[in-house]
Amino acid sequence: MTMLRVRDATVRFGGIVALDGISLDLNRGEILGLIGPNGAGKTTLFNCISGVIRPDHGSILFETNDLTYAPPHERARLGIARTFQNLQLWGSMTVEENLMVPMDALGRRNTFSDALYLPFSAYAERASSERARAILHVLDLGRYARTPAGDLPAGIQRRVEIARALAMRPRLLLLDEPAAGLDAQETAHLADLLHAVRERFHVSMLLVDHDMSLVMRVCDFVYVLDFGKLLAHGRPAAIRDDPKVIAAYLGEESKKPAGDVATVATPREGPPLLEVDRLAAGYGGLEVIRDVTLSVRPGEVVACIGANGAGKTTTLRAISGMIHARGGKVTFAGKDVTGSSAERITKLGLVHIPEGRGLFPTISVEDTLRLVSNTAGHEVDPAPAFDLFPKLRQRRRQLVGTLSGGEQQMVALARAILSQPRLVMIDEMSQGLAPTVVRQLFDIVRVFREQGIAVLLVEQFVESALDVADRAYVFEHGTNALSGPAVELRNDRKLVTGSYLGTAVDATAIAANGNGHHIDPALMEILSVRVPAKVKRALEERAENEGRPAGAVVVELLGKVDDQ
Amino acid sequence: MGAFAAYTIIGLGLGGIFSLAALGIVLIYRTTGVLNFAHGAMGMFSTFVAWQVFYGWSHPFWPTWLSTLLAVLAGLIFAAIMGLTLEFAVFRWVRTREPVVKAVITIGVLLALQSAASLIWKNNQYHLPIYLAPQQATFQLAGVPIGANYIVIVVMALGLAFGLGAFLRYTSFGRAMRAVSDSPTSASLWGVPVNKVSAVSWMLGSLVAALAGILITPFINFDTTSLTLLIIDALAAALIGGLVSLPLTVLGGFVLGLLETYPTIWIQSLGFPRLVALLVIIAVLIVRNPRGFAVVAK
Amino acid sequence: MFRVLAALVAFTVLARIPVGFDVGFKFDAALAVIWAFGLLSLVLLTGYVGQISLCQATFAGVGAYTAGLMVAGFHADYLVAVVAGVAAAFVLGVIVGIPALRLRGITLAIVTLGIALVFDRYVFQDHAFEWFTGGTAGWRVDQATMFGLQMDSSKHLMAAYVVLLALFCVVALLMVNLHDSGAGRRLRAIRDSELAAATMGVNLTRYKLLAFGMSAAIAGLGGSFYPLVAGSVSPQPFWLFTSLQFAAIAVLMGVRYVPAAALGGVFMAVVPDVLTRFGHGTFMGRAYDISYDWFQIAVGVLLIVQLIALPDGVWGDLRARALHAWSAAGALGGRKVKVA
Repeated sequence: MTMLRVRDATVRFGGIVALDGISLDLNRGEILGLIGPNGAGKTTLFNCISGVIRPDHGSILFETNDLTYAPPHERARLGIARTFQNLQLWGSMTVEENLMVPMDALGRRNTFSDALYLPFSAYAERASSERARAILHVLDLGRYARTPAGDLPAGIQRRVEIARALAMRPRLLLLDEPAAGLDAQETAHLADLLHAVRERFHVSMLLVDHDMSLVMRVCDFVYVLDFGKLLAHGRPAAIRDDPKVIAAYLGEESKKPAGDVATVATPREGPPLLEVDRLAAGYGGLEVIRDVTLSVRPGEVVACIGANGAGKTTTLRAISGMIHARGGKVTFAGKDVTGSSAERITKLGLVHIPEGRGLFPTISVEDTLRLVSNTAGHEVDPAPAFDLFPKLRQRRRQLVGTLSGGEQQMVALARAILSQPRLVMIDEMSQGLAPTVVRQLFDIVRVFREQGIAVLLVEQFVESALDVADRAYVFEHGTNALSGPAVELRNDRKLVTGSYLGTAVDATAIAANGNGHHIDPALMEILSVRVPAKVKRALEERAENEGRPAGAVVVELLGKVDDQ
Repeated sequence: MGAFAAYTIIGLGLGGIFSLAALGIVLIYRTTGVLNFAHGAMGMFSTFVAWQVFYGWSHPFWPTWLSTLLAVLAGLIFAAIMGLTLEFAVFRWVRTREPVVKAVITIGVLLALQSAASLIWKNNQYHLPIYLAPQQATFQLAGVPIGANYIVIVVMALGLAFGLGAFLRYTSFGRAMRAVSDSPTSASLWGVPVNKVSAVSWMLGSLVAALAGILITPFINFDTTSLTLLIIDALAAALIGGLVSLPLTVLGGFVLGLLETYPTIWIQSLGFPRLVALLVIIAVLIVRNPRGFAVVAK
Repeated sequence: MFRVLAALVAFTVLARIPVGFDVGFKFDAALAVIWAFGLLSLVLLTGYVGQISLCQATFAGVGAYTAGLMVAGFHADYLVAVVAGVAAAFVLGVIVGIPALRLRGITLAIVTLGIALVFDRYVFQDHAFEWFTGGTAGWRVDQATMFGLQMDSSKHLMAAYVVLLALFCVVALLMVNLHDSGAGRRLRAIRDSELAAATMGVNLTRYKLLAFGMSAAIAGLGGSFYPLVAGSVSPQPFWLFTSLQFAAIAVLMGVRYVPAAALGGVFMAVVPDVLTRFGHGTFMGRAYDISYDWFQIAVGVLLIVQLIALPDGVWGDLRARALHAWSAAGALGGRKVKVA
């Protein structure tokens, strides 16, 4: 039966039509996907359904209720919960308290009786607390119950957001880019989690995300938006093959042969342009990277890949001067730049495009490009950038803050090219962007190489990164464990499909089913994060030799440890 | 009709004062990201320095123009130093904090400056006869005599608005200033000398405050609190300009001046105009607010 | 339970302090509690709910004037006067809360600043409101009855102080309980993320208006005792700069913590008086005289320094250090006790 019925929703912001007559049906028990380029109106639609924005036109019906004029807390009461793309946890409260708020809000609580700590309140408190813990336990968050939500790492925070939404006993759960910033392993976890949630909590879901692997795996039905209009809708497989969708959003499949040998194979000669030696850095009391050693030769493209939290972003920040290095040395173009200011390093010709692109929301595109001065210190003419990115020429007067994610990234790259640097460091270029846009951007990276500019690239899209790179470093908890020519790593299928980093996940499933061992989820985490790369390799090799799944080997070894 | 015209002229004159005061606030906000509650107090202090030079330290035999010149210079130089000090001692350390925190810091500056002035110059009424145009010169407009100095204020407000506006929009330093206020971390990654730019921003803002103070004082009570309390009217004008457009701020100032003057035809009250300013603020803010929620970013 | 005990102990200790000191000091003590109520109101509004307000002294002033009106104009019992004062302040608080529904952060600060100024310059001073303010001289409260007892001249100061202190302890206790309760969580959720709070079922309108109303009522409670303590009401104690000082000192001491309000109250009332009374003499042959202005300069500078270095305020920092030390000792098996 239809649980959510959106009819003809239209939203206008100033002169822009964010949603143009969108109609959508969600059936009970379904997981519905909503995809499309940035700015297509997905978040706006979400905001309409959850009550943050009122549509100018159209109606929204939830079960038998007309939601169009209901304030957000009313919708919550009716059973609609949501998570936020940029995490809206209540950081000063513990995880448990975070869950208790939606629970209380739906019950009958009285402010005065709370203040006086009357027996009724005390009883209700205990009941809520127990229910909160039950939910946390299902999502494997039990041990964080008393931790302030703001102190947790981002991956855990995401799960807490989902837990909090579930605490409301919703019938419909809206998930806003739940996979943003998650690496391959974490995304796989998330997909399993969503399935489990649907089973155990009987919740229908509406999911927005750019990660196609998640969408394909999890969704029963998919709607595609573009420019506020409905472009297509159907089953995931059908959508993936729909030419309109491919043109607007997905782009061509990257089934290229492993590395284009001709352009990639030539190793660059010459002394390294950037040399990083045993770099250590962190935030506050936390040390994030402790022993990073890498180098980039002139004109080379080097990729840094690895799980979230491994230290890739921190490394770039320490190199460019955004944060202070605590140990080690950074040499650029022969000069020791450890501890230098970001301004000085930039002037030497080392440009850093950080996560979030590092742009200025209230400055126009043209003015932004004019801000660039080349290494000689003169202002540069922005014209060559417009040749390379014709789209930007159209938007030259627009404020950067109003551009789509892909266009913003173009501005950042344009600035990089204009300043004629010797090395550009790009952090998560593809984050939050539609697949077609990502492909365009990786082509731009090739342009960098043609111009002789070296590139140091941090990326989640392992395939595309290795396609364009000469060499790659694999980061793991604070240091780079593996490195080698990109071609080799690209051929390492385990690495590319994420199973290298996700060995433990598969192992758990196999072990539990095959040998009857039951593994505590906590162990799952330990295996995936704390075991050094080389050890994992050894385990896998042994497993292969013995013809058993890797997980079983691990379980056996751990059993031996216990016995000792 | 004559009375109405007279009130209009007075209102516009008052509006010029508000515009001058508001300009500095918008300038500082656009170049440093700080909403400076202490703006009036800063202007007041610099003006008192000018007064001190004019009356306290000038030689009685010096011609008036010389005393005036020295007084104004002293006030402006002091303002520049005060701006620099604020940047180096205070705002440099809180660049990455939320706007609200920075605004509360300016409240601290307000309190400190206010009391320091009170300490030095007590709570008396003063008079600072600094006029850029001869006092007696008047123009006739619709049969109403207007002092030349009113014209000076209006011209100065307009000139500053367009001049500073152009500076911010079209020059490379102006762009750099805007970049730093938008995002200091990104700016430094772009090679912009953030410390230098910030220092200039505060100096400039402080100078505008001093200029406004010196020009305005002949027309209002000159004591340690009046200029500070002008902050509400200045903020109202600044909000009409959306805290972005300098020319719109000037327009806002004039509109506010008229709105505060017309009611005095019927209501004689010292405090009532403040209510008008408040209502304007509320109206502007409610109208400007996007539909639904002002989403997150605080 | 521990909290109730702590409050009782604090009360008995503090109630004895002014005995044996002169009238001036007793006045300061009573004033300290009145100001502490103002700061407490900010702890609720800004510390717990995250709404900025620069007009808390205005609410206190409304409480004061209403109480004065009740006594001098209607010869009411002082208890009635206090209730009226609190009610008036509550109503005004809710009204001020209405624009707050749509504004936050700096814009809310500006509006409340405007309200403080309008009341300061217009409502409290204009003759159009004389019926409320009792004219330029304000209400004089020489005699008042409370609980049927006659209160006048300096004899009543001690009694007033004790009553104020008792009320403060009760309200403080309620607030600390509120913090950890379900309603308190909802308020704190509004502070941490309004958007999430609304979509998770918290009725923003209801809670924000309630927060403003209750906060104003707390400030008004303190303010309505002012005529009793000072003998008369005038606009000066409740002018704009007092509101600014409230904001400054609340933040300085730690706007999220109830004890910080008490600390701040003492700071605001006692320190300036002590400075002016004892802060003069000669130093190295030069006469010096520390006046109230010096106090305010210090407040301004301290606020700036605190925001740069100790974002959680003086009490917040002390508390963090204490908890740190406690949990280090707690490894030996101590229980974690949260007081305030």
